Amino acid sequence: MIKITVKLIGPLINLAGYSEKTLEFPAETTVEEILASLPIDPLRPKIVTRNGQAVAPGEKLKDGDRLAISPIYSGG
Amino acid sequence: MKGWTGHILRINLTNRTHKIETFGQEFAEKWVGGRGLALKTLWDELRPGIDPLGPENKLIIAVGPIAGVPAPNTGKTVVAAKSPLTGGFGDGNLGTRATEHIRKSGYDALIFEGQADKPIYVYIEDDKVQYFPAEDIWGKGTYDTHDYLYKRYGKGVGVLSIGQGGENLNRYAMIRSLEGRAGGRPGIGAVMGSKKLKAIVIKGSKPIPVADPEGMRKLGLDDLRKVGEINKQTGWSIQSTTGVLSWCNEVAALPVHNMRQTHHPDAWKIDGERLNNARVATYGCPNCTMRCGIAIRDHEGHESELDYENVGLLGSDLDIFELDQVGSLNYLCDDYGLDTISAGDTLAFYADAIEQGAIKGDFRFGDAEMAKKLLGQAARREGEVGNLLAEGSLRMARTIGHNSEAYAMQVKGLEISAYNCKFIPGMALAFATCPIGAHHKDSWIITFEIKQSQRDSYGPEKAAKVIELQRIRGGLFEFIVACRFPWIELGWPLDHYAEYFNKVTGLNWSLDDFWKVSDRIYALMKFFWVREFPDWDRTRDYPPMVWFDPSNADKEGPIAGKVLELDKYNQLLDHYYNQRGWDKRGIPTRQTAESLDLKDEIAEVEKYTKLE
Repeated sequence: MIKITVKLIGPLINLAGYSEKTLEFPAETTVEEILASLPIDPLRPKIVTRNGQAVAPGEKLKDGDRLAISPIYSGG
Repeated sequence: MKGWTGHILRINLTNRTHKIETFGQEFAEKWVGGRGLALKTLWDELRPGIDPLGPENKLIIAVGPIAGVPAPNTGKTVVAAKSPLTGGFGDGNLGTRATEHIRKSGYDALIFEGQADKPIYVYIEDDKVQYFPAEDIWGKGTYDTHDYLYKRYGKGVGVLSIGQGGENLNRYAMIRSLEGRAGGRPGIGAVMGSKKLKAIVIKGSKPIPVADPEGMRKLGLDDLRKVGEINKQTGWSIQSTTGVLSWCNEVAALPVHNMRQTHHPDAWKIDGERLNNARVATYGCPNCTMRCGIAIRDHEGHESELDYENVGLLGSDLDIFELDQVGSLNYLCDDYGLDTISAGDTLAFYADAIEQGAIKGDFRFGDAEMAKKLLGQAARREGEVGNLLAEGSLRMARTIGHNSEAYAMQVKGLEISAYNCKFIPGMALAFATCPIGAHHKDSWIITFEIKQSQRDSYGPEKAAKVIELQRIRGGLFEFIVACRFPWIELGWPLDHYAEYFNKVTGLNWSLDDFWKVSDRIYALMKFFWVREFPDWDRTRDYPPMVWFDPSNADKEGPIAGKVLELDKYNQLLDHYYNQRGWDKRGIPTRQTAESLDLKDEIAEVEKYTKLE
């Protein structure tokens, strides 16, 4: 198992009921698998970063990674 | 003519006279309204080199053809003048009931020229213009000023006012309206103050000229409801713009410590979640169903309406991570009528300059109480420090010396909004090419850079994205005059705005027709700058040098060891100029200007520099 800190941003907090949690996932879990486990509409446009960097499709996470999931902001 | 009233009210404050002037369909279709109308007026009527704070400058208040018409987010008005902060073209927009009343009074724009001999305010009701002494409110903040005028005229009127900042010619003074709406970052409030014009009150009773009034009414009201529903479904208003603070902190784009740092462990203390929890009221502009203003109450009992820029510049950039204190600082800026962005950047620069040993002073990062005192001194130009701070960061740096200009966080004299581009090349370009100085309103591409592009790319795709957004945000939304939020934040399709425009004007424009107007306005804004600064070169389109300084790189985090690279930035700037049809100096070529129907303007600008 690996520990991943999931940071939710903006109204996604209200959908999930938390803003930040460290959760356990099986080793080699992908970003998509983590997103699928969250109560967030998969069709909703969002931006996901891993340790502050953009993630590629199918990217596998490592123990201690920080995943930030945000609606797509546009700078007001 | 439908859509436009075709009338401009010109008020001369020196001799207290006014006249109503007209314009025709050709002018209307060429410049449309808002930013376009204001720019063309200033270009035609201002002599280059005039003192922006003298009687020769003109204050333009301009609306657009869909402004005030019930439809998504049409409550905005543009305010413009030659900027006392930058010396170039300056404008901004704000939500206000004045929008609807300007149109209902029968005007597309108001022009204020000259200078009153003593403080006054002007009351406009349809064709009637009255001048009243403002001694009772001169020296008061914008909140008291609004209360005073609402008591006299009722809350339904449109009020635009300045605070002590504008009265005392603070160069980043703004114009205020409603509970916390403000516009005119490049010192347009100081221009109003220089004319001794404390406030404009306006009330109109005429119908807004609409080609298809019944069709527009049905469409507009229906779309207002739909935008409101999307807002509810997405939950955007829960944190509004302030949600972006946490994201900037994650991706190392947050302004911290005069933008020397890009993230901070205490950022959560002032984030959108905390702000939403502290909310006591929600405010918005007229004709808005996705209100963005989250008001909190500070420890002194003041309501303070916050958005991300306020929290980023008056909070994290000053190392202040107490929401209550950020609220107090924001309230003071609103009351004094100061731009929160420039005020925050200027205070951060002052603290940084002290820390660097460039100047002696008592202010330190994180000192909210001292920041409050300094805001008051800057607004009133009290003492040496107050006078220095009232000048903005670029003039301060040139006074202080010691190479401090490198870390004055501004472009062309206008301070940078709350996005730290130490390693975000495309957004640095967006700030650097913004036509009024560093503002996020014309183009914002950070999520594009992080998600759909390579963050470290300086390629043509980033220049293209900046231009695409400038055409929409800095063009379309500024000349039809509407808030960009339904489109930019909720995905409300742009086609709707063409539909509103066509229903109001009776024309049949496509979005491509708008882009040509956008490009024309951008070219003329550049000509305005070049006429003021004939030695224009591309270095004026550079972001602050500290973003290129390897010693300023983050020591840890997502962008550790990285900063912008100047040679690559120049390549990016070349992409931008090439795509715009501008030369290596950043000036539209003759061919480009001719293709935008700027024949007269070419003749004028060539008195100052030769076009390629």
